[in-house]
Amino acid sequence: MKIVREALAGTMESSDLMVKIAPTEEGLEVVVYSEVMKQFGDQILQVVNTTLRVMEIDQGLIVIEDKGALDCVIRARLQSAILRATEQTEINWEKLL
Amino acid sequence: MQTQSPIVFRCMEVNSSPRNLTAVRKLLADSHLEMDGDITTFVEARLGNCVVGCAGLAGNVIKCVAVAPQFRGKNLSAQLLTEVENVAVARGHLHLFLYTKPCNRERFEHSGFWPIVQSANDTILMENIPSGIQRYCRRLQAYRVPGKRIGAIVMNANPFTLGHRHLVELAAKSCDWLHLFVVREDASFFPFSTRLNMVNMGVSDLANVTVHQGSQYIISRATFPTYFLKDSGKVQQAWSETDLLIFRNYIVPALGITHRFIGSEPFCDVTHQYNQTMHQVLADAVEVVEIPRIKVADKAISASEVRRLLKTDQFSRIRKIVPDTTFTCLESDYARKSQKNQEYHYENC
Repeated sequence: MKIVREALAGTMESSDLMVKIAPTEEGLEVVVYSEVMKQFGDQILQVVNTTLRVMEIDQGLIVIEDKGALDCVIRARLQSAILRATEQTEINWEKLL
Repeated sequence: MQTQSPIVFRCMEVNSSPRNLTAVRKLLADSHLEMDGDITTFVEARLGNCVVGCAGLAGNVIKCVAVAPQFRGKNLSAQLLTEVENVAVARGHLHLFLYTKPCNRERFEHSGFWPIVQSANDTILMENIPSGIQRYCRRLQAYRVPGKRIGAIVMNANPFTLGHRHLVELAAKSCDWLHLFVVREDASFFPFSTRLNMVNMGVSDLANVTVHQGSQYIISRATFPTYFLKDSGKVQQAWSETDLLIFRNYIVPALGITHRFIGSEPFCDVTHQYNQTMHQVLADAVEVVEIPRIKVADKAISASEVRRLLKTDQFSRIRKIVPDTTFTCLESDYARKSQKNQEYHYENC
């Protein structure tokens, strides 16, 4: 899917995260900040990268500011932001599981 | 431990509800802040009838963030910022800037903002995309040209006159390469695309010049807010230090700039102050070269003069102070605009 516009999802509350997405001219740039980067950084990155791969995102700027969210929350917020940024109207639910 | 918060957030347009601003004004005054004139939208945090927090939005700049003392320490400012970010992104601004005092830096860093520069007058400019400025500079680096003397000019070119041409020509002649930035902010009489076009055509014969589209980081509402208010006559101080610090700390190293060229400014106080500040801020990093304006019939050429003449249709006089490329552009543009019932807006230069 192609990122066609800027989009946001999430909040800066504890146990949540904020996702910001912007289109870029080339390449995929993923920036992850987390309050628990030391403890769970690898796991967070894995969730993020898997979600991006499944949704076929290979271009754009993805900024994630994590406030200690669970994996399922990270996935859900990222998916919402991607759906907004790609202006998807028909959702392929199988890919969001 | 999330308790049910009774605080609700509401978005308010400044123009449509001036009466509701009283509470916001009071809250700002309690935090020693003044309401900024260019704020168009406020997000309020309300508890019943009481406004307990607010954050203002002026284009892509967040201003006037305040929380009532008894509600501090509840992460309310982060919630306010999230609300403002959502309002802004719906209006096409994901990338936001924020001015605050250095003592609030940490608070905003926890709310998703990253510092860019801190000026001596005790304000710090932050942005909500990590390394936004660094990313911009990486893109700029692609335009780096080796050389001993690398010049830079930033101009609004509203419109591009013989004065601008003179400045560019002299600068290009004295440098190995010249980087010419056209202010991007669409707050001027002529839209950005027209100004860029006029500059591109006006310098196309000079082989050692790169014309850059400006950015949020060079004379924009974010870096130099008063530049776009200067014609209102309300501006006392230029507040241009932030803009020049960004230039010095980020743009100069990215392009290897050694000289910055400016035209002398006899008319506009804000631009004059900007030039003065430039000498101070850039002192050790870059040589600032101020070039006197050229005169036609004993009168220094200025873009504001061209706009004035345009209002009264004095094309024969305009022709004497703009390059042919600009004149052609003005003529065709003007013809088109007149058909559309003079949709010009005159408030800015």
